[in-house]
Amino acid sequence: MDELNDNETVENQEGYVEEIPGVITTTSMAITDFLKKTKAQDIINWGRKNSLWFLTQPMGCCGVEMIATGCAHYDTDRFGIIPRNSPRAADVMIISGYVTKKYLPALNTLWEQMAAPKWVICMGDCSISGGPFYESYSTVQNIDKMFPIDVFIPGCPPRPEALLQGFIELQKKIMAKKDHGTDY
Amino acid sequence: MDAKTIIDSLVNKFQDSLVDAKVDSDIRVSAYLEPEKIVEVCQYMKDELLFDHLSSETAVDYPKRNEIVVVYHIGSYDHSVLMTIKVKLPRDAPEIESIVPVYWNANWYERETYELFGVKFNNHPNLKPLVLPDELMGDWPLRKDYEGFPNRTARNLV
Repeated sequence: MDELNDNETVENQEGYVEEIPGVITTTSMAITDFLKKTKAQDIINWGRKNSLWFLTQPMGCCGVEMIATGCAHYDTDRFGIIPRNSPRAADVMIISGYVTKKYLPALNTLWEQMAAPKWVICMGDCSISGGPFYESYSTVQNIDKMFPIDVFIPGCPPRPEALLQGFIELQKKIMAKKDHGTDY
Repeated sequence: MDAKTIIDSLVNKFQDSLVDAKVDSDIRVSAYLEPEKIVEVCQYMKDELLFDHLSSETAVDYPKRNEIVVVYHIGSYDHSVLMTIKVKLPRDAPEIESIVPVYWNANWYERETYELFGVKFNNHPNLKPLVLPDELMGDWPLRKDYEGFPNRTARNLV
């Protein structure tokens, strides 16, 4: 099998596979890049914005509001927003609290484990600016330099309605192709 | 067993190493202690004076006096007296014997005091950082001359 590959496909300097006569070779990346220029991306974005599954990863007292948002009373399922326990199945990561220096590697691991396209929502004053832990020795500042954050939701903690509004703003951004989760 | 009896018993037994032992109220007694006697005094209090519960163990930093004071609060389930023991240590190399062999729950208290103040507890079974990340080791954040606070914050808001 290795010999066959070596004979028939030769990678050039840019890393692209050379064309075989009569066969159109492509990659999923190329298809994605092509679709981004067409109207099909609108339909894809419509599907994406209606299935914003978020990662249940509470990090502080905002996490309680986040869990309350995912429960039956606010019924986020009507917007396609469903809490997920596994980062592999989630689309949105909500940074819901102060990020300590010890927790940042774990947060990075969760972020890397999520499959693209993925978005980040900054929830609460702690994650935006540090909040009451503004000048603490153990918290990480300027979290927006580390993650491509789409929506900031201020509040201490923000009410579940505010989080829902943040999700809807994210949906509007995705439909307008202004989100940071995809490069257009 | 009341506060007067307890402090008298301690002063009689350890009169060389106990300094400024006094009765603060009916339920509070306090004393300064020499560092090398701490395990002996704790063992005596646990065996003879019924102090069977270590409530807390922490430290206070005094940069002007160049000392770190380790503070032990030891209580009891049998009587209502709470003992405060303070041990003065030099600030540049604070070292004291661990009291984990006497009070087992001092384990995490001493780890926390170690990571926040840099007090080294000799013969501790597992002296490593408790909650701080490894890169903060050696900074001793709760010392008063700590300067590692973030100074460029909330740039996205201003």
